[in-house]
Amino acid sequence: MTINVTNADWNAVAPIIIVAITGLLVLLLDLLSPKNISRYAAILLGAAGMIVAGVVASLAYWSPAYVAFGGAFIQSGFGIVFQLIILIAGIGSLILVRPPVQNERIAGATALMLWGTCGAMLMAGAGNLMVVFLGLELLSLALYCLCGLADRPSSRESALKYLILSSTASGFMLYGMALLFGASGSVAFADLANPALASSALLWVGGGLFLVGIAFKLSLVPFHAWSPDVYEGAPLPVTAFMSVATKAGTLAVFARFMYAALPAGTADRLLLPIWIVAAISMIAGNVGMLAQHDLKRLIAYSGIAQVGYILTALAGGTHLGLRYAIYYLAAYTFMNLGAFAIATTMSGDREEGSHLANYRGYGRRNPVGAALMTFFLLAMAGLPPTAGFLGKILILSSSVGAGYAWLGVVLIIGTAISLYAYAKVVRAMYQRDEHVHAFEGHAPAPLAWASAAICFVVIIVMTFYPYTPSNVLPIVK
Amino acid sequence: MIELLLILVPVVIGAAMQFGRDDENEKWSRWTGALVAAVMFFLALASRGTEWSFRWLSRPFTSAFHFGPTAISYWIVLLLAVCTFSAILAVNQPRRRRFIGQLLMLEGTMMGLFLARDLLAFALFWDAMLLPVFFTLLGWGGHSGTAWRYFLYNFAGGLTLLLATAAFGMLYGSTDVIGRTDVHLVGAWVPWIFIGFSFAFLVKTPVWPLHTWMPITYSDTPSPMVAVVSAVQSKAGLYGFIAIAMATMPDYVKTYAPWLIVLGIVSLLYGAFIALTQNDAKRIVAYSSLSHLGLIVVAIASFNPIALQGAVLYIIAHGLFSAAIFLTLGYVESREETRSLVRLGGLGASNPRLAGALCIAALAALGLPGLAGFVGEIVILTGVFQAGLVWPAILALIPIVLASAYMLRLFQGIMNGPEVPDLPVRADLNWIEGLALAPLVIALVVLGVNPHALTTFNPSAYNATTVSQGASK
Repeated sequence: MTINVTNADWNAVAPIIIVAITGLLVLLLDLLSPKNISRYAAILLGAAGMIVAGVVASLAYWSPAYVAFGGAFIQSGFGIVFQLIILIAGIGSLILVRPPVQNERIAGATALMLWGTCGAMLMAGAGNLMVVFLGLELLSLALYCLCGLADRPSSRESALKYLILSSTASGFMLYGMALLFGASGSVAFADLANPALASSALLWVGGGLFLVGIAFKLSLVPFHAWSPDVYEGAPLPVTAFMSVATKAGTLAVFARFMYAALPAGTADRLLLPIWIVAAISMIAGNVGMLAQHDLKRLIAYSGIAQVGYILTALAGGTHLGLRYAIYYLAAYTFMNLGAFAIATTMSGDREEGSHLANYRGYGRRNPVGAALMTFFLLAMAGLPPTAGFLGKILILSSSVGAGYAWLGVVLIIGTAISLYAYAKVVRAMYQRDEHVHAFEGHAPAPLAWASAAICFVVIIVMTFYPYTPSNVLPIVK
Repeated sequence: MIELLLILVPVVIGAAMQFGRDDENEKWSRWTGALVAAVMFFLALASRGTEWSFRWLSRPFTSAFHFGPTAISYWIVLLLAVCTFSAILAVNQPRRRRFIGQLLMLEGTMMGLFLARDLLAFALFWDAMLLPVFFTLLGWGGHSGTAWRYFLYNFAGGLTLLLATAAFGMLYGSTDVIGRTDVHLVGAWVPWIFIGFSFAFLVKTPVWPLHTWMPITYSDTPSPMVAVVSAVQSKAGLYGFIAIAMATMPDYVKTYAPWLIVLGIVSLLYGAFIALTQNDAKRIVAYSSLSHLGLIVVAIASFNPIALQGAVLYIIAHGLFSAAIFLTLGYVESREETRSLVRLGGLGASNPRLAGALCIAALAALGLPGLAGFVGEIVILTGVFQAGLVWPAILALIPIVLASAYMLRLFQGIMNGPEVPDLPVRADLNWIEGLALAPLVIALVVLGVNPHALTTFNPSAYNATTVSQGASK
């Protein structure tokens, strides 16, 4: 089969190309400038590139879907919305880059983050299994390096751990893809939706292995053990990026697989393990959160549960469910980025903002920062007036409407558990405690403060003006 | 628009008061807070019959930020405004500005709850109103465990409320139902929805055996805050039963009414007996609240229009006298630095005005004719008898007798007897403290003499009562 590549095809991937070229540009500038490129220059250039990419991507939102490169990449409302969320995650975490990422590494870090964003964006628009894998590996390779960026043993451990475990999961996924290829004779998602495949054993085994890979990337229980360790060792901005972009990209792949690429009638049975795993994740993630003393580990466990909430919205495969999943994913993005931004403002050379012990008495030392942190944590717990609250009610309604009320009940139980973990941090910040010797220093971090403020405003606006994108049904051809 | 002001002004001002440097000497915060609370009272007075609505969700069910007092919540909103005003004047906690800010945020969020005409807005404020109390317990409470227990219990209730609201919305297609009379939910899902709502309401009220968060919360929370919590926040569940459960799911309220009556009676008796044995003054009042609110649960579950009117009367009356008692006990505690009946005694000799204040509040609580508490009790009992529930009515009489015992024990233990030599002797009530109590006492007397205004709502607007009348004939 020959593929005629036209300008329209290149337009479809233009946002990705813009981001990739920005990464090259940052490296080039670093090479050309007499000293190392300054932190602000690298960050602002990277952010500007991503903003341009976001604008270019959103221009195509209302135009009809376009299948580029012979079905390898699909430009549609679905992919664009996910790409925008990924870009927001990229910008939001890039501007948090501060020490301990030294100046000589800043250009490389920025470029890697940009290319990681490219990988996740590619996953969001992938039309066949090969592109999914390409995007996934691009994202993962960037993350392996980024995790080891800080000059600490824990950071190197994190990188190694992520490399080994993630490769294993990629192996599962690749094997699943091979079997899916064997079943349909094609790598395209479109050819999987063939009703004749509904009884093919290869589809079931391949689909199962593929979903194992997905579950690993989403860090669902029982494939979650890597995420707290990797998150803990990685530098703060990288953790922020990983906690959102990886999940967003993988969720996009999962949603496309689930909504558009399965033969009719197989979804309920093939995906049942995913719903069960999501239910376990909602409980186990929130229970795991209770014992944490480190913000990054807390967010890792919280992420395990939050993905469970998002999958609850998807269960049943309704259009509204997908919209609410995207709404909640966006809310989750801003809550996480906001919390990481505050942690960054507290951090010096050793990432003090990540140790929950340092939040003791924070309410007195910095009332504004503590109030914002409280807001983000309570948003994750789903308390009003936040998008977390509204997102939960939307997810609950969609699960009730789609006949998955049991997942809604599990969500409620998980949320009740999670409150304790989130509120523990809040308590540490506000409780009167005269005998604390917490970390007192604050390096100036105007970008992080700006990011926290923006996240705050966006979450409030999302609560009272809950826009859920309507043009998002995934397509495969 | 008045509704929006009632909600946002206290919340915004209260939030703003949380920032800035602590200054122990500042005087302006109390007067600012009192001024805001007074303005809120007059706004609340003017809010009768007004409504404000703004579309929130159109999918998967319609929902709106729809606010406006109903015939019942109008009075609760007024009660809230009065109690907040009194509580702010009575604040003598350290870091006063922040404390008053928390009180104002509590007022604003509870305004939102009682003004809500939409279930989703109701659920939003149901959770939001927990936060000021939680932060107050963290900053000013005795034990951190109290804050947890309060928050986790009530948040669990809030979550079942949320799930029930989502199911309600999916079933009915809209959550904009509070205060409407034409909504009548039936179907296989409805019992579960009802149970979800009921769990939240029963935890909040609270009712035995879900009450275990309540005595420690009431005794640990600083008095001005607990005055508002016990006076108004504890009524959220009862209001929910009347305005949501009875109005939209009357059949299921009726099905489960025997259970509610049993829980109410147990709470009535249990609360009264435990109140007799406590030595912590605030715990006595906490358990007496458990007992009094159990009576209201029985009234609601009896499906009688008279009992329902009595329930509304008693909701307001209990709010007034429990706020007055808690504020007075706060004065006692700030003077004597203890609230244990074992230690206290003879305070009346040196503080006659304080003794007088506690006397009026305690008499209202034990149901002295002429004060508002009596009217509520007698109307409820009449209604319960009329509904044919003879035994519950008789059982409900026992705690009313016991109320005299524990309230007099409370009063005598603090005010009468010989002066305790090793307790400090401090000045009697000053005029600000008196001013704080004045609106509550005046309202108790006015409502005790002329309760008619509160009963002007039409009980048949709440479907359940008409259903029962139809059924009994």
